[in-house]
Amino acid sequence: MRLFNRIWSRTFAYVVLLGFTAFFVVPVIWLLLSPTKTDHELVVGNPFAIGTLHNLSHAIHVMFTFEDYALLNWLKNSAIYSFGGIVIALACSIPAGYGLAHTQFIGRRTLLGVTLFVMIMPATALVLPLFLEANAVHAVGTPWSVILPFSFFPFGVYLAYIFYSSSVPKDLLAAARIDGCNEWNVFRRVALPLARPIIALVTFFAFVANWNNFFLPFVMLPNSTNYPLPVGLQDLLAATPAFNPGQGGQVPIYRPELAIATIVAMAPVLIVFLFAQRSLVSGMLAGATKE
Amino acid sequence: MCPVTLEKLTKVYPNGYEAVHEFDLEVADGEFMVLVGPSGCGKTTAMRMVAGLEQISSGTLRIGDRIMNDVSPRDRDIAMVFQNYALYPHMTVGENIGFALKMKHTPKQEIVNKVRDTAEILGLTEWIDRKPGQLSGGQRQRVAMGRAIVREPKVFLMDEPLSNLDAKLRVQMRAEVARIQRRLGVATIYVTHDQVEAMTMGDRVAVMRAGVLLQCDKPQRIYDSPVNIFVAGFMGSPSMNLFEASLGEGARSLRLGSQEIVLPASVLAARPSLVKYANNEIVIGVRPESLAMAGPKRSASGNETVQFEGDVDLIEALGSEILVHFSTDAHRVEAEGMYSDDAEGLEAGSITRPGDGVARMAPDTQVTIGSRIKLQMNTKRLYFFDAVTGLSIEE
Amino acid sequence: MQSVVPKRTSAPLGATDSLNPKLRRKQRNGVAGYAFVSGYFVLLVLFGVLPAVYAITLAFTSTGGHFVGLSNFVKTGEDFRFLPAFEHVGEYLLIWLGSLVVIVVGLALMLHSISRRVSSAFRFIFYLPGALAGAASVLVWLFMLDPTVSPWREFLSLFGFKNLGQTILPGHLPIIFAIIAFWAGAGGWIVVTYGALNNIPNELIEAAELDGAGAIQTALRVKLPLIKKWVTFMLILAFAAGTQLFVEPQLVGEASLGLISPTWSPNELAYYFAFQDNNFNYAAAISVDLLVIGLLCAAVLVFRTKLFEVE
Repeated sequence: MRLFNRIWSRTFAYVVLLGFTAFFVVPVIWLLLSPTKTDHELVVGNPFAIGTLHNLSHAIHVMFTFEDYALLNWLKNSAIYSFGGIVIALACSIPAGYGLAHTQFIGRRTLLGVTLFVMIMPATALVLPLFLEANAVHAVGTPWSVILPFSFFPFGVYLAYIFYSSSVPKDLLAAARIDGCNEWNVFRRVALPLARPIIALVTFFAFVANWNNFFLPFVMLPNSTNYPLPVGLQDLLAATPAFNPGQGGQVPIYRPELAIATIVAMAPVLIVFLFAQRSLVSGMLAGATKE
Repeated sequence: MCPVTLEKLTKVYPNGYEAVHEFDLEVADGEFMVLVGPSGCGKTTAMRMVAGLEQISSGTLRIGDRIMNDVSPRDRDIAMVFQNYALYPHMTVGENIGFALKMKHTPKQEIVNKVRDTAEILGLTEWIDRKPGQLSGGQRQRVAMGRAIVREPKVFLMDEPLSNLDAKLRVQMRAEVARIQRRLGVATIYVTHDQVEAMTMGDRVAVMRAGVLLQCDKPQRIYDSPVNIFVAGFMGSPSMNLFEASLGEGARSLRLGSQEIVLPASVLAARPSLVKYANNEIVIGVRPESLAMAGPKRSASGNETVQFEGDVDLIEALGSEILVHFSTDAHRVEAEGMYSDDAEGLEAGSITRPGDGVARMAPDTQVTIGSRIKLQMNTKRLYFFDAVTGLSIEE
Repeated sequence: MQSVVPKRTSAPLGATDSLNPKLRRKQRNGVAGYAFVSGYFVLLVLFGVLPAVYAITLAFTSTGGHFVGLSNFVKTGEDFRFLPAFEHVGEYLLIWLGSLVVIVVGLALMLHSISRRVSSAFRFIFYLPGALAGAASVLVWLFMLDPTVSPWREFLSLFGFKNLGQTILPGHLPIIFAIIAFWAGAGGWIVVTYGALNNIPNELIEAAELDGAGAIQTALRVKLPLIKKWVTFMLILAFAAGTQLFVEPQLVGEASLGLISPTWSPNELAYYFAFQDNNFNYAAAISVDLLVIGLLCAAVLVFRTKLFEVE
């Protein structure tokens, strides 16, 4: 009886898990296959049929040359904003995490508490206030209006703080001081080289957050040539006859081309996911748990 | 090569806790000084003040002639071996050892030579390109030593450097560390909670308790003439047997529980001040090895002995000797923190219950559990302590 | 005597001597600390504190810069678009959080009961769509919801949907956004919940088994109570993020031929005030509303649960 129960519940679990696997995976597979088909084939054909290389190259050609290589320009913008933000975020958050964990100064605990707060608060809540601020100093429309807010990454500070306070013993730093290091060299020669895994982790998280961010650049950058990819996608969506039949044939962007653009937008993050799966998962847990 | 002088060194933490209280100590050039005491006694804090890792609340620290109170650790020219070694995990053994030299901008070739020589001395040559994570505990300990000695510093500080090694390796490294120190001839402060290390390694030993220095002397002197009950109980394993007792009329007799022991006149002659304690409570102490099965009233060496009785309730055979645990109806005295709460303390194996005592005897001694035995001791090896202050009654 | 005299003078001298340098030293230590956090501190002030303060200032003043008390809050609150926007988001949150508790926890429990190897493959697959968060996920789901091209067209036709316009009717939006949020976000939460389950000592599960609990009993009576605080953690974070909905209604609205209001969510409404009405004070007032919700969530997490480590 018990054995029967066990087999039954296990089977049930597998059926449910496989069902959800379909839910999670089918959209991705469909998306990857669709550029190999024509818009018409998408409508009439089997959704999981594989199209032709010819269709694929056609869609790629149309999408990339569209509006004087706008897609590549958005890709470039996305890269600049994301990495610009990451570089500054790293340069600030690793030393800050170290300072919070291993130095004493007035206001340290306050800073830690505020960091925790802004980390938990959704970043989107600050987008319009940031816009109002940028507007007040006439910074709207400049790349910096996106890069600098990106570089404020309290989660990175928290990760670095947890790492330094839990994995770097105070005695190690004391040893460096006795070995002749001043405070800067203690950080530069001992603490920083040890932070390599945490630097990777902060980079991944900041990258995913920056690359997928829509609201902030959407608000800050009115000019289409400054768009990063997600905002560009919305532009395409607004112009394509695939979703807005009223647009008539002015824009040659149909579903296969739109799929290409979506794939280009998600590919970098997907690649990061595939390569950094382990550390991303461990980081989610490390960031969230103290166990 | 300098002496180290601590003058009324005090450490008060911001929360008001006084970890070290007016600590005076002078470590001569080339001397091996051991700071020993139970955990939390302030010995590590005292050492860290010497290193410059803890701020000195008050008092003066001198290395050589220079006041070091406010000199940063890197300018004190000291080397330290940490309890957990504190090796840089991202550097190789060679880089770890040479790091301090690199920080001093020593020429590259000189660093290479010195690191090589140091590795040679410590038998680390074949591991020189390994990272600390790939080494065994003993090897890591050697790297930590190497990192300290390569600098030829003015002062060595060692914070329980052997406590993370297993028992056998610890005994081996104990001798090795002592040998290296003698060879280098650098003033050394060595912190430990292990009284065996203190006895075997130190030129002198400083016993601390609750932030206060109790006694600082040669190991044998501390063992032979402890200043108070705490030092008496802390140094030596198994610990000294300490019992409450009361002195009789004219300090000529001693009441131990229900037993009356007559004290020979020589006892009073050696310590005339005992008279002041006549008809009063005192604490008597006797080391386990000073106890023997009762025989003739006078021992072979012609010294006078006294005797008392106890019930044997446990016998531990250690091969070279046996430990006979006995109970009397006298109260056993224990000073707080006298027995270290670490594994070392338990290792000694003494099961102590109130009223219990231990005698260390030859392995061929005839005793059986449950029997009542007569124990005797040399009166010269009998210790007397003031029951109120705990101080030794020496005169 | 000679040796005593210098000693006597040096002792008090040393004492006064050590006072000033001690202060100096303390400050130097402090200086190092400040130097390490300075970069981050500047960013925190410029892009965390200052915008919030500025938004609050704007929210309490008129376009002319006069202090108007709560008037902006009252006026935006009375706006005919205000309540619907919060209702929309509330509806969406109800579905999204409900599915998080039931489905995410259920899936994590199932994953925890099968072999580690297999479960790690499942976890990765579930986690994968997380890469497509934001605009890309909305675009993908516009395809999925379009009955003309969707791989699930048969399923959609069961509900009688014949074209995209019918699927994305305004009344369907809360559940559609919940599906999108689930598709892109559930995997991450499954991983976290699974990690929490993994923290339960094996002996405890074995003890339950010896006590006669079956797999389901063990899951419900032993595992679930032990991960309760993680479920709370997940719900609060998801709630805080969910209130900020913007990109989803914005993009779906773009594809809806004007069927969907451009002020569907509170953030969209704030955006609308700022960009269509040029009324930054109203926009700021709604931003402050949302900011307060975010802060409250953070406060609950920080003070009520003990999940975050600040020594």
